[in-house]
Amino acid sequence: MASQDPNSASGSGKQDEAGKVPPKDPKKKDDKKDEDLSDEDLALKQQLELYVERVQDSDPGLQRVALESMRQEIRTSTSSMTSVPKPLKYLRPHYGTLKAYYETMSDSDLKKYLADILSVLALTMSAEGERESLKFRLLGSDGDIGSWGHEYVRNLAGEIAQEYAKRQLQSDETPFDDLMELVQQIVAFHMRHNAEPEAVDLLMEVEDLDLLVEHVDKTNFKRTCLYLTSSARYLPGPDDMLVLDIAFMIYLKFEEYPNALQIALFLDNKEYVKQVFTSCDDLLRKKQFCYILARHGSNFELNDEMVVEDEEREALQEIINNAKLSEGYLTLARDIEVMEAKTPEDIYKAHLLDGRASAGASVDSARQNLAATFVNAFVNAGFGQDKLMTVPSDASSGGASGNWLFKNKEHGKTSAAASLGTILLWDVDSGLAQIDKYFHSNDNHVIAGALLGVGIVNCSIKNDCDPALALLGEYIDKEDPSIRIGAIMGLGIAYAGAENEQIRSKLTPILNDAKAPLDVITFAAISLGLIYVGSCNEEVAQAIIFALMDRSDAELGESLARLIPLSLGLLYLGKQESVEATAEVSKTFHEKIRKHCDMTLLSCAYAGTGNVLKVQNLLGHCSQHLEKGETHQGPAVLGIAMIAMAEELGLEMAIRSLEHLLQYGEQNIRRAVPLALGLLCISNPKVTVMDTLSRLSHDTDSEVAMAAVISLGVIGAGTNNARIAAMLRNLSSYYYKDASLLFCVRIAQGLVHLGKGLLTLNPYHSDRFLLSPAALGGIITMLHACLDMKAIILGKYHYVLYFLILAMQPRMLLTVDENLKPLSVPVRVGQAVDVVGQAGRPKTITGFQTHSTPVLLAAGDRAELATEKYIPLSPILEGFVILKENPEYRED
Amino acid sequence: MGQGTPGGLNRQGLPGDRKPDGNDKKEKKFEPAAPPARVGRKQRKQKGPEAAARLPTVTPLTKCKLRLLKLERIKDYLLMEEEFVTNQERLKPQEEKAEEDRSKVDDLRGSPMSVGNLEELIDENHAIVSSSVGPEYYVGILSFVDKDQLEPGCAILMHNKVLSVVGLLQDEVDPMVSVMKVEKAPLESYADIGGLDAQIQEIKEAVELPLTHPELYEDIGIRPPKGVILYGEPGTGKTLLAKAVANSTSATFLRVVGSELIQKYLGDGPKLVRELFRVADDLSPSIVFIDEIDAVGTKRYDAHSGGEREIQRTMLELLNQLDGFDSRGDVKVILATNRIESLDPALLRPGRIDRKIEFPLPDIKTRRRIFQIHTSRMTLADDVNLEEFVMTKDEFSGADIKAICTEAGLLALRERRMKVTHVDFKKAKEKVMFKKKEGVPEGLYM
Repeated sequence: MASQDPNSASGSGKQDEAGKVPPKDPKKKDDKKDEDLSDEDLALKQQLELYVERVQDSDPGLQRVALESMRQEIRTSTSSMTSVPKPLKYLRPHYGTLKAYYETMSDSDLKKYLADILSVLALTMSAEGERESLKFRLLGSDGDIGSWGHEYVRNLAGEIAQEYAKRQLQSDETPFDDLMELVQQIVAFHMRHNAEPEAVDLLMEVEDLDLLVEHVDKTNFKRTCLYLTSSARYLPGPDDMLVLDIAFMIYLKFEEYPNALQIALFLDNKEYVKQVFTSCDDLLRKKQFCYILARHGSNFELNDEMVVEDEEREALQEIINNAKLSEGYLTLARDIEVMEAKTPEDIYKAHLLDGRASAGASVDSARQNLAATFVNAFVNAGFGQDKLMTVPSDASSGGASGNWLFKNKEHGKTSAAASLGTILLWDVDSGLAQIDKYFHSNDNHVIAGALLGVGIVNCSIKNDCDPALALLGEYIDKEDPSIRIGAIMGLGIAYAGAENEQIRSKLTPILNDAKAPLDVITFAAISLGLIYVGSCNEEVAQAIIFALMDRSDAELGESLARLIPLSLGLLYLGKQESVEATAEVSKTFHEKIRKHCDMTLLSCAYAGTGNVLKVQNLLGHCSQHLEKGETHQGPAVLGIAMIAMAEELGLEMAIRSLEHLLQYGEQNIRRAVPLALGLLCISNPKVTVMDTLSRLSHDTDSEVAMAAVISLGVIGAGTNNARIAAMLRNLSSYYYKDASLLFCVRIAQGLVHLGKGLLTLNPYHSDRFLLSPAALGGIITMLHACLDMKAIILGKYHYVLYFLILAMQPRMLLTVDENLKPLSVPVRVGQAVDVVGQAGRPKTITGFQTHSTPVLLAAGDRAELATEKYIPLSPILEGFVILKENPEYRED
Repeated sequence: MGQGTPGGLNRQGLPGDRKPDGNDKKEKKFEPAAPPARVGRKQRKQKGPEAAARLPTVTPLTKCKLRLLKLERIKDYLLMEEEFVTNQERLKPQEEKAEEDRSKVDDLRGSPMSVGNLEELIDENHAIVSSSVGPEYYVGILSFVDKDQLEPGCAILMHNKVLSVVGLLQDEVDPMVSVMKVEKAPLESYADIGGLDAQIQEIKEAVELPLTHPELYEDIGIRPPKGVILYGEPGTGKTLLAKAVANSTSATFLRVVGSELIQKYLGDGPKLVRELFRVADDLSPSIVFIDEIDAVGTKRYDAHSGGEREIQRTMLELLNQLDGFDSRGDVKVILATNRIESLDPALLRPGRIDRKIEFPLPDIKTRRRIFQIHTSRMTLADDVNLEEFVMTKDEFSGADIKAICTEAGLLALRERRMKVTHVDFKKAKEKVMFKKKEGVPEGLYM
C-alpha cells in the first residue's frame, strides 16, 4: 500500500477547522468564521474568490491572469505541520465550481493550467479513493512536479500506487505509460530530496525498480541500496530476489564491488560473482574479494577470465582456500596475549565453588576425562598448543600425551585423538605431522580419532594436494566400523561445501552397501550431506533416499537413523522450493520416519529465509499431541528456529513463540525448545534467553535440563561470558552427582570459552547479512544429534560434537596492508545501529571504544576505522580487511 | 517469564520420570532449591509480565514500506502465537490445572496474611523480616515466591503463624502520584481558546507531535523538544491551554501543582518528583504538567531554614529528572508560571526546557474572540455593543473578560431579567476594573 497516508495533511487540517468552531448550528458557524478572520485573511479570501470568478470569465486574457495569480498564491503560502495552507483552505468551497467549469472549457493551454490547480486543490478536497489529484495531474501541463511542494508529491505517489493496483486488478489494456511518466518525475524529485525510501517504495508499487538505476547518483546510492537490501529480508518471493538484483546492479554501477559481491553471495549466484571479478581491475581489491569469499566458505574457483596473470591467480586462490587463516588467528591471539594454553581446570574454576564440588571425583572418571578432552579441545582450538595433548610431544617423547590419550576408554580415545586435530585447527602442515604418529597405533579407536583429526585440521582449508582425501581415502573401506566412521566423518568435515566428485564416488557405494552397519551409513550420509550442502545434487539425494528405504524396521527405530533424513535436508539447505520433489518421495518412506523426514526437509530447505508461512506450518505440527514414539516434533521446533533466525524481528518473535511451546508442549517439544533457543542466539548471549535457559537447566526432566545446559554453552560460545560461566559453575556443583548432566555442563563450559573467547559459532557474518551454509550445516547436525542426547552424545557417538568445528570462525577484525602483512590501526568498536532510512549521516555504531587492530567483535558489534590515514577496501570491517593508504591524507 | 513452571524447581525430589537410583532420591529432598537467577536489587526495568510480552522495536520510524513490512512480520508472528495458543487451549485447557495450583498455593499461604517488611536476605531461602509492630524474625521464604523480585526493604506478605514469606506486594506506586493522573479529560478544548494561535502551534509541535508523529522529527534529523514552559501575565490562558492539551491528547496526562511537591518530611519532596517521573515513564507516552512551578523552581540562594533547603533539593531532583542521566523517552513536560524571571536559570536551559512560550495580554482581535467565546451562550439584548469593550484602552486579560461577562450576567440575574443589556456590561466592566486596580488578587474571579 501507499507508504504515506495521503490524507495526513488534509485530515489534520480538517480537524483543526472543526475544532476552532464549537459545533453548533451550521449557519452560525459560517457567520462566525467570517467574523473571526483577521483582516489579511479576509483580504486573501476575497482576493481568491475574485480569482475564482475571473477564471470563469470569458476573456482568456483575464483567465490567464487569474490562474497565474492563484497559482502564485498557492505556491508562496507556507504550510505548517499541523494545518492546511490558507489559500487552499479558502479555495475549498470553490473546488466544485472550478471543477464544473473545467468540464465546460474547451481544450487549450488554459484548461491545462486549470487542471494543474485543480490537481493541487484535490490534495485536500477529493474524497478518499477518488484519486482526483492524479486525474487532473494527468490532464494538466507537465510542469515541474516539485514546485507544488513535498506533500503534493507524496500524495500523488500514493494515488499512483492505488491507480496502478486498480488497473492491474482489472487487467484491462490501458497502458501504464501516462503513469510511468509521472513516476519518472516523482522518483527524480524524491531522489534529489533525500527521500530514497519513498522513491523505492513507489517503484516497488508500480513494479518497475529498474528505473532506479538511472536515478541514483554518487550521493544517494548507498542509502538506496541499504534500504533495498534490508527490505529484501521482508519481501515475499520473488520480489526479494528482484530487489537484490537491482541493488547488485547499482553497486556495480558505482564500483562498490565488495557490497555487490555480498549480494552475489547472498543470491548464491556464481555468475554474479564472476561478473564482480571481471569488472574490477584492481588486484588489491580482488584480494579483498577473496577474503570475503573465504569467510563465506565458498568453493569458488578462479579462472583466467577473471584474473589474467597465472601468478596473481594463484595468490588469490590461496586466499580463497583460507591458507592464511591460522596465521591470522595466531596473530590475533598473540596480540591479545592469550597464547598461554589453558587446562580444563582453568575453565572449571572449581576453587570458586564452596566445598562440595571438589568431592565430585566420585563419578566415573572416564566420563570426566572425556569431558576434559572436549573442553581442552574447544578451549585451545586452533592455538596449536595445549597442556594435555601436545605439550610433551617434543620433551619426553610423547609419553604424557599418550598417557592422556589412554586415560580415555575405547571410543573415548577416538575423541581424544581427534581433539589434537582441533587444537591444530587450520594449521595443515604441522597438524598432519603431529597427528601422523597415531596412524601407527594398533588401537582402532586411536586410528579412527587420528583420521577424524586429519579431517578437522583441514576444515574450511583447501589445499591443492588434497592431503585429507589422500590420507583418508584409503581408510574408508577398512573392516573396522570405527575406523570407517572416523575417515568418513573426517572427509565430511574437511570438504564441507566442496562438492567434490571424487569423494562422492567413494562414499555413495557405502550407502548402498547392504552389509554396512547403520552407524557407518549414517555418517556417510551426513558427510555427503555436508559436502554437497545446499547443492540440490540429484545423485546424492537418490543415494541417500535408497539408503533410507533399505533400512529395516528396527534400524529406523534407532535414534542414529534419524540423522539420515537430516543429511537429505542438508542437500537442500536454504534452497526453498527445490526440495519439493524430494519431499514428495519422502512421503513413501516407512511411517516411522516419514513425518520426521518431512519436518527435517522442510526446515532445512527454508533455513535462513524467515518464511513466515513455513513457521506457521511447523508450529501447526507442534500443536498436535502425540502418542508415544513419534519424534517429528523435535525437528519441527528446531526448524522454527532455523527459519526464523534469518532476521532480528523474526528471531525475537520466535523466542516469544518458543515460550508458548514450553508452556503447552509435551516432553518431546520441551526437550527441543532449549536447543532451538540456542540456535537462535548462537554466540549471542541475550539476557532474557539466558534466564530462560537457566530456569530450564533445573527442570525436572533431565533431558530438558541437559539440552538447556548445552544451549547455555551454545549461546555463550566463544564469548567468555562471565554470567554464563558463573551459572555453569553453579550447575556443576548442583549436578555433581549426575554424571550425564555434569558431562553436559563441562561441554558447555568448554564452549563458553571456545578458543579462549576468540571464536564464534555464528553462521551469520558480514553484518549478519550472509549465512555460511557449511557452518549452519555443522550446527544443525550437532543439534539434531542433541535431540536424543542419551543415545548419541552420552552414548558412543560423542564425536558428533566435532561438527561444531565447521562453524568455528575467529570473531576478529584483522587489518592488513597491501602486502597482506598485519597492520595495526585504531578502530572504533561499538554496538551496531540500524540506520536504514534515516536522514542525514547517522552514526552507525553507538557506545564505541577505540582499540587498535586486531580486535575482537562481539555479536551485534560493528567496527569503523578511527583514522583517515587508510581506506578499507571493504565497507564491512570483519575478518581480514585490506587497508590502502589514503592519498589525500595529511598529517597534522 | 517466570510464570512457565511455577514451583517446577522444588519438585526435584518428587517421584518423577527420572532414573531412580534409590537413596540418592531421599537425599535430594534436602537439596536446596535451585538458586535464583540473581540476588540483590531487583530488576528495575522488568515490569511484570509486560516485559516478556514487549514486542521488538521497529527501526525506521519514517513511514515507508520497510516499516510496514516489518510491522506485518510482527503481526504474522502474533497471529501464529494466537492460533497456537487457542489450539492448545482447546486441546488441553490450562484453566483447571492452573486453578488447582492456585488453590494449593492459597492453602499454603493461609489466611489472613500479615503484611511485613523484608529487612535482609540471608540466603536463597531465608530472610529477616519485620512486621510493623513486633520484633524482627528469621524466617523461610516459600519456594513459589518470585525471588528475583525480592529486595531488602520491599513489602511482603507473611504467613499468619510461622511468619514465613509467602508473597510480595507488587504495587508500590505512591498514592500521591496516582491521584495526579488525569482520569477524566477536561472539557476545555482548543476551540475554547481565543487567539493564541502561535502558542497553540508551538505547544503542538513541542508536545503533541513528538508523541504522535515521531517520524517527522526523525526525517529531518532532530530530536524533538523535551518540554515547554508557559509564562505570562496572570489570566492569559496558560492553564487553559494545558487543559486543552489534556483534552485533545490520548497520552497519559499527569498534572501537579508546584506546591504539591513541597512535603512535610525531609526527602519526601524529591522522592515524590522521582515517583512522578517514574510513573510517567511507566505509563508513557505521557505528558507531565507542573503548574505554578515558581513554588519550587525559584533561584537558588543561601538558604537558612531547613524548609527552604528542602525546597531547593526538590528543585534539584526536578532538574535531574528533566535532563539527567536516564533518558526520558516518551515523557513530555509542560511547566507554567507567571514569574519566569524568578526561576532558576538551570531549570530553563535548553535541553531541560527547550521552548519558552510567552502568553501576552490579548490584543484587540483576540479580545474580540474571547468576548465571543464567553458571550456565545449568554442571551444578549440587542443593544449590546461588545465592540466598545473590545476597543477600550484598558488592559484586560482573558480572565478579566470572563469576569466581566460573568459579572454582567449576575447583574442581569439580580434584576431577574432574561437578557443581558449593554448597561450591565458597562457596570460589570467598571466593577472589574475597579477591583483590579485595588489590587485584589485575581484568584477571586474564578
